[in-house]
Amino acid sequence: MTLNLCVLTPNRIVWDSEVKEIILSTNSGQIGVLPNHAPIATAVDIGILRIRFNDQWLTMALMGGFARIGNNEITVLVNDAEKGSDIDPQEAQQTLEIAQANLRKAEGKRQIIEANLALRRARTRVEAVNAIS
Amino acid sequence: MKLVAAAKVRRAQEAVVNARPFSETLVEVLYNINEQLQNDDVDIPLTKVRPVKKVGLVVVTGDRGLCGGFNNSIIKKAEARIRELKALGLDYTVISVGKKGNLYFLRRPYIPVDKYFEGTNLPTAKEAQAIADDVFSLFVSEEVDKVELLYTKFVSLVKSDPVIHTLLPLSPKGEICDVNGICVDAANDEFFRLTTREGKLTVERDVIRTQTSDFSPILQFEQDPVQILDALLPLYLNSQILRALQESLASELAARMSAMSNATDNAVELKKNLSQIYNRQRQAKITGEILEIVAGADALT
Repeated sequence: MTLNLCVLTPNRIVWDSEVKEIILSTNSGQIGVLPNHAPIATAVDIGILRIRFNDQWLTMALMGGFARIGNNEITVLVNDAEKGSDIDPQEAQQTLEIAQANLRKAEGKRQIIEANLALRRARTRVEAVNAIS
Repeated sequence: MKLVAAAKVRRAQEAVVNARPFSETLVEVLYNINEQLQNDDVDIPLTKVRPVKKVGLVVVTGDRGLCGGFNNSIIKKAEARIRELKALGLDYTVISVGKKGNLYFLRRPYIPVDKYFEGTNLPTAKEAQAIADDVFSLFVSEEVDKVELLYTKFVSLVKSDPVIHTLLPLSPKGEICDVNGICVDAANDEFFRLTTREGKLTVERDVIRTQTSDFSPILQFEQDPVQILDALLPLYLNSQILRALQESLASELAARMSAMSNATDNAVELKKNLSQIYNRQRQAKITGEILEIVAGADALT
């Protein structure tokens, strides 16, 4: 019995195949999903999705969204998703540094909101790359 | 140029088709959550309706020219809307997407512009996310009270319509409202297909009603429904913006196809006319020379 995982972004399907287990970051903590999990619906935070596929763990950086876990069918809708293997480590590190600098420079409620979001995303990408290496 | 644009329309169409699984699932989930929340008062920042003092206008234009009246018509619509807002005494700010729009607003410093975004050949979720971030922070920090999206809706290969849609505040049911208050249900999805009919390229528009199946009754919400709605609505915002970008791109390509096709036809006709004039001149000169020679020969004998 395997889980069927579908990760969708607004413009493409990032992942659509069977997996053995996933670990998802939600607003209320991380949840692990094994086959025959009870159906739940949850919001997904900006964070890492770990997928156990062929006895290997793969990471994917998710930029916030929603997940629905049904009868061995998981549908994850996110604003953007990147596979850990697709991210360039140096570029991710640079983006993180730029985001941190922007947050320090930010003034006013609006810039702070934007800078915080950008920082969380950059951090997630760096974590996704580091988690597999 | 026409065939290049035709090939790109096909790619744009594929992009729209790829976006469908996401928006279908999203709409399904939105509907189901709304049913659960029917009687509760939903208080989420993105749906908050405030008295409007300042309006944000997101104007989507193209990157390049040679597309007929495409860029002009959307810019004219934007100017008309700005005049309307001024007449109502409302303040406004513009978010310009696309090089042509950027150039236009840069040359007019009297129009307040919040940010300039460059367009791309194929709009991806990243670009939509960047615009969504900007719009989100403007709305949530209460700098603007309403955000409207101005883009060109694709009607057919020869016709496209600049439209204005209210982007924020979102209605929790996922409806998209026109400025006149005409709302379209999110489950009525439209998409276009580039096909051929009688050997000519045409576009068909289909409307599909997304089937909203019931959630399994034992579905538990990990967080309370309001928090989940809070996570869903930014996704919806993103997909709306992406949809607008894709439609705008498709309209631009269609306008370019038809403008280039007209240009080609005109060029062919011009070539034909010039060839005829050239040949006539050439023949007239030859006839003249022959007449001179004959006259000369006649004079000698």
